[in-house]
Amino acid sequence: MTRYIIRRIASVIGVVWLMTVMVFGIVHLLPGSVAHMILGEFATADSIALLEQRLGLNDPLPMQYWRWFSGLLRGDFGNSLTMERPAGPILIEALGRSAILAGISLVLVAIIGIALGVHSAVNRGSSSDRALTLAQYAFISIPEFFWCIVVILVFAAWLGWLPATGYTPLAEAGVLGWARHLVLPVVTLTLGLIAHVSRMTRSSMLEALDSQYVLAARAKGLAERFVLYRHALPNALLPTITVLAIDMGLLIGGIVVVETVFAFPGLGRMLIYAIDNQDLPLMMGGMIVVTSVYALANLAADILYATLNPRIRYGGSAA
Amino acid sequence: MSAALALPRGRRLPRGLILGGFAIAVIVVLAVAGPWITPYDPDAFAIRERLQAPSLAHWFGTDDFGRDVFSRVLAGAHYSLLMGFGATAISLAIGVPLGMLAAFHRGWVDEAVMRGVDLMISIPPVLLGLLILATTQPSVAKTVISVGIVYVPIMTRLSRAVALGLLAEDFVDAARARGDGAVRILWREILPNAWPPIIVETSLRITFAILLGSALSFLGLGPQPPASEWGLMIAESRPFIEQAPWIALAPGICLCLLLVLINVVGEGLRDLLDPRMQGRGHG
Amino acid sequence: MAEAPLLELRDLSLRYATARGMVQALDGVSLELHRGQAMGLVGESGSGKSSLVLAILGLLGKGATVSTSRAAFDGEDLHKTAAALRGRRIGMVFQDPSAALNPGLTIGYQIAEPLIHHRGSSERDAMARAVSLLNEVGVARAESVARSYPHQLSGGMKQRAVIATALACEPELLLLDEPTTALDVTVEAQILDLLDDLRRHRNVAMLLVSHNLGIVDRLCDGLTVLYAGRVVEQGETAAILARPQHPYTRGLLAALPRADHGRIARLTPIPGGLPDLTRPEPGCNFRARCDFALPACAEAQLLDGPAAHRVRCHLADVVAAAPPLEDAAPAQARILPAGTRPLIQAMELTKSFRLGAALSLGFRGGLPRLTRNAGVLAVDDVALHVARGEVLGLVGESGCGKSTLGRLMLRLLAADAGRISLDGEIVPAQPDTAFRRRAQIVFQNPDSSLNPRQTVHQALRWPLVRFGIARGAEADREVDRLLELVRLPSSYRSRYPHQMSGGEKQRIGIARALASRPDFLVCDEAVSALDVSVQAAVLNLLADLRDRLGIAYLFISHDIGVIAHIADRIAVMYRGTIVEQGAAAQMLAPPYHPYTEALLSAVPLVGLKGRSAQRTRLAGDASSVPPAGGCRFAPRCPRRIGAVCDTVAPPLRMGPGGHQIMCHHTMETLAALPPALGQAA
Repeated sequence: MTRYIIRRIASVIGVVWLMTVMVFGIVHLLPGSVAHMILGEFATADSIALLEQRLGLNDPLPMQYWRWFSGLLRGDFGNSLTMERPAGPILIEALGRSAILAGISLVLVAIIGIALGVHSAVNRGSSSDRALTLAQYAFISIPEFFWCIVVILVFAAWLGWLPATGYTPLAEAGVLGWARHLVLPVVTLTLGLIAHVSRMTRSSMLEALDSQYVLAARAKGLAERFVLYRHALPNALLPTITVLAIDMGLLIGGIVVVETVFAFPGLGRMLIYAIDNQDLPLMMGGMIVVTSVYALANLAADILYATLNPRIRYGGSAA
Repeated sequence: MSAALALPRGRRLPRGLILGGFAIAVIVVLAVAGPWITPYDPDAFAIRERLQAPSLAHWFGTDDFGRDVFSRVLAGAHYSLLMGFGATAISLAIGVPLGMLAAFHRGWVDEAVMRGVDLMISIPPVLLGLLILATTQPSVAKTVISVGIVYVPIMTRLSRAVALGLLAEDFVDAARARGDGAVRILWREILPNAWPPIIVETSLRITFAILLGSALSFLGLGPQPPASEWGLMIAESRPFIEQAPWIALAPGICLCLLLVLINVVGEGLRDLLDPRMQGRGHG
Repeated sequence: MAEAPLLELRDLSLRYATARGMVQALDGVSLELHRGQAMGLVGESGSGKSSLVLAILGLLGKGATVSTSRAAFDGEDLHKTAAALRGRRIGMVFQDPSAALNPGLTIGYQIAEPLIHHRGSSERDAMARAVSLLNEVGVARAESVARSYPHQLSGGMKQRAVIATALACEPELLLLDEPTTALDVTVEAQILDLLDDLRRHRNVAMLLVSHNLGIVDRLCDGLTVLYAGRVVEQGETAAILARPQHPYTRGLLAALPRADHGRIARLTPIPGGLPDLTRPEPGCNFRARCDFALPACAEAQLLDGPAAHRVRCHLADVVAAAPPLEDAAPAQARILPAGTRPLIQAMELTKSFRLGAALSLGFRGGLPRLTRNAGVLAVDDVALHVARGEVLGLVGESGCGKSTLGRLMLRLLAADAGRISLDGEIVPAQPDTAFRRRAQIVFQNPDSSLNPRQTVHQALRWPLVRFGIARGAEADREVDRLLELVRLPSSYRSRYPHQMSGGEKQRIGIARALASRPDFLVCDEAVSALDVSVQAAVLNLLADLRDRLGIAYLFISHDIGVIAHIADRIAVMYRGTIVEQGAAAQMLAPPYHPYTEALLSAVPLVGLKGRSAQRTRLAGDASSVPPAGGCRFAPRCPRRIGAVCDTVAPPLRMGPGGHQIMCHHTMETLAALPPALGQAA
């Protein structure tokens, strides 16, 4: 088990490092000079030369990479070109806000998704199962950005219940004001994922319910409730952990879209801003931060999976 | 693995598959015929007629430049189809051979391919797309290619798993006992049995590809204005969302409809082809 | 019998809906089971025997409709009380212990669970009781087993745990659904002993579902034979097996290859297949397959006769009076004259498998270190030979390396070391087409051995073309000839695998192997997946082909009965080595290797109930780790001499006629062992 965790941590480090190489490589190796990209096509030769001088773009690439990478290791992401201040603190602040959005969404997705999936499986073939299946179909097929438009239209524009965009820190607006800005982004983010998670939970729960050990538990005369929650559910949840980890990737995609639409000042919006404005240090840093978060989330899921699965926890045979 | 793998003869096709397949065929025809059948030029400005509500003259209303939304939606259908089918075709074309190669050459080839796949999967899909699109001028082709590359590792993993399962079957050993060559084994024994699960997965992947592609377009990293890609149309409609919601709703609903239809077809194919879905209830 | 029966079923019928319509899975099944009595429920797959068990427990799914005129447990209506009886007064043991145990809970907890729920025991008391229950079912180191998870235990150990679970609340009735089918024969013998013990000492009634008449004969005093959902014969086991009165029971017995009967010329298969259960037959549903059938058989038949022996056949007297079906004339085993050059010969064959990666990262003294993973020896320095037209039976338990050896012989797996020669010529690691043509294979699993997307025609025609045997119209005619060879009509050409039964698929597998006109055939458990009645037909077919075409077989099986029936010579394999080989007759009687002795005495035989007293039993299972350098069988050997067995590799003892035993005991000592099959050799 310890060895397994060490191996997984090593692979997380590997992934993040590889991402630094890829991000750097793509930015610097693609045709067209970086300075040109930043200053736009009407830049003068002088201004390009000046910028190249300032950013050290004339140094050999490995040296540039090492300068950037060693900076990352020290927590120095370089200076944002458009905001003229260190990119690190900007990214950390944005990450904090996105983490709130992602955290709340993930918890809701897990709880509601699993609950609905279990309900469907236990009442297989019932009218509520069929209704849920239909809803899952629909919700999996609706892109987040379209949800954004719809909920803004309904709750902000027509009903006027909630603010359409923006964000106020907890300290300024109090819990209610803070939460009001979170409702619509969270709803938008979670609808599709809940459908996905509940669908996958339903099928793994059905598989568990059809298993011999559940039949054996029934033959032991255990109460049905107990058969469901003690025997079937824990085994059915193992694959759900993997599904949740995969959905983290979708969630990150969703966050980029949702933050952009709701003008929510998180990491996703920051990334799009950096791309739109060709703020390379900010963009490169943002990508590294997102990759690291995703890799760590996957690591957490793998460790959770291993802890809950005795076949991994106690690998070899005993007795 | 049982007889169920063979396409059951004489079994009725699922209704969803027929209806969904027919509807998708209609959409494909409309998308191809788009330029000739749109009632208005999708890119023609008519400032005097801007932001008109749906009417008999303009079924889906007009946008802020007075362009006919119905014409634009029709003209934009091919983008979504291109992203869905094109990107999936790319991921199939790269992923399936890679997966088969890994399954046939256990050892370092397999190890190298699978470690690469692990690494690619460790990067959030949207980021991979953003990374490729951020640094170059956006275009349709690039969006399609990026989305395709994003799903290569999944296809590789799937086809490797399917091929490994089949390579463990006795009929493959029978072929090896005859001394059949690798190419013949791949062509006659593996591929005919591998396509059902791959097709099922592919059909479900198409919806993900369309979703990712249109999300990237929505973020401005796909086709550029005045293209009438549906994600882009929705993005451009945002300033007028209260005055003219139809500009967003028309392409949005069409997009959802397309995705639901593909999902219906995918599930229908799964029912038809996935052996695990059949023969249940044998004691 | 004045006492009321513990379990009483009358006219139990079961119907469930399928895509093809309503299936009548059980039709008017009646049985009585008294306290302490053991009843065997025998039938082939599709007979409805497992469904009956679930019907008693009330655990059939929603789609099933059960009707009875009476169903009572201890005098109370079973329909109403089943839920309260499960786990309390009725215990259940399933076929596959790996599937029946929850992978996420400890063994101890799973045994304790019924106590906590039904008896209100505290968790601590229940766990303590679980440990003592494990002790009672013969688990050593019960405390550590109780703390383990299922995946950490061997199959036999898991089945003991399942039995302990069923016994937790001291039930009066145990339902056993094929409790040993998933286990090796030596482990099966241990479990059967355990069950027999439980019945004697606890007075538990048992309903034992099995396809194996030997097991039922070993354990049960009552017997119910099911055919396609109906009871065809019921009564005392000994009476029925001694003189079956229903043609089906009689057919089953004649189709069974029996180790104690040695080589007989032919088995008698039952022709045809199960009737269509969606259209229940009002008359006798066996008559389409029955030799005795008369027009009157179309009338409804009643289960009739004294309680000790009831039969559902109006011709019972005729059947009972008919001479035994079995052709008892022993076949001539081919004993080759000394000095005959073998067709195929293997020497010093060795193969090891790596588990996991070739290199592993370990930590020693705090420093990371790469170590090379040692492999597991699957086949260790094996020598064997098969002559033209000879059948070498290779027998051993799961994981002993017999399938690996079969594949090594065909060069389907690359050997680590060793030589193979065909007709005196060395076969290279990458053999040429000529070798491929001459050496072919038949597989165990009929579902996996045929490509689901090829018709019979395609599957049979390609090897003909591949090896240049025939082409064009001639190849088509050759396909027909092959079909005829395996006794299938030529209309089967256009069928896909899923349009055929298991036995038919197996015939196509054989025809495909024969297409290239091979001289040597590896049959890897070629009949193990088939029901007895079908298995007999395929065994006869293989024997005929050997006689007609002079093919040599390496016949691999875990079933000693099958091996004894078909093999001229037998090799016994244990953990990668061949511990004994010799002519078939020599192998079934002393002198033999202690493992052969144990293997033979573990086989449940029909009609030899008395022999259990002198049986040799093995402890543990084949996963017991042998000492390095010594005899691999030493840790389990009941005839272990002492330290020499653990440290010194046993010598190869030679007997007459090429008989070889790898053991520290001398041939003389081994010759003095008791006959394991319970009869004078």
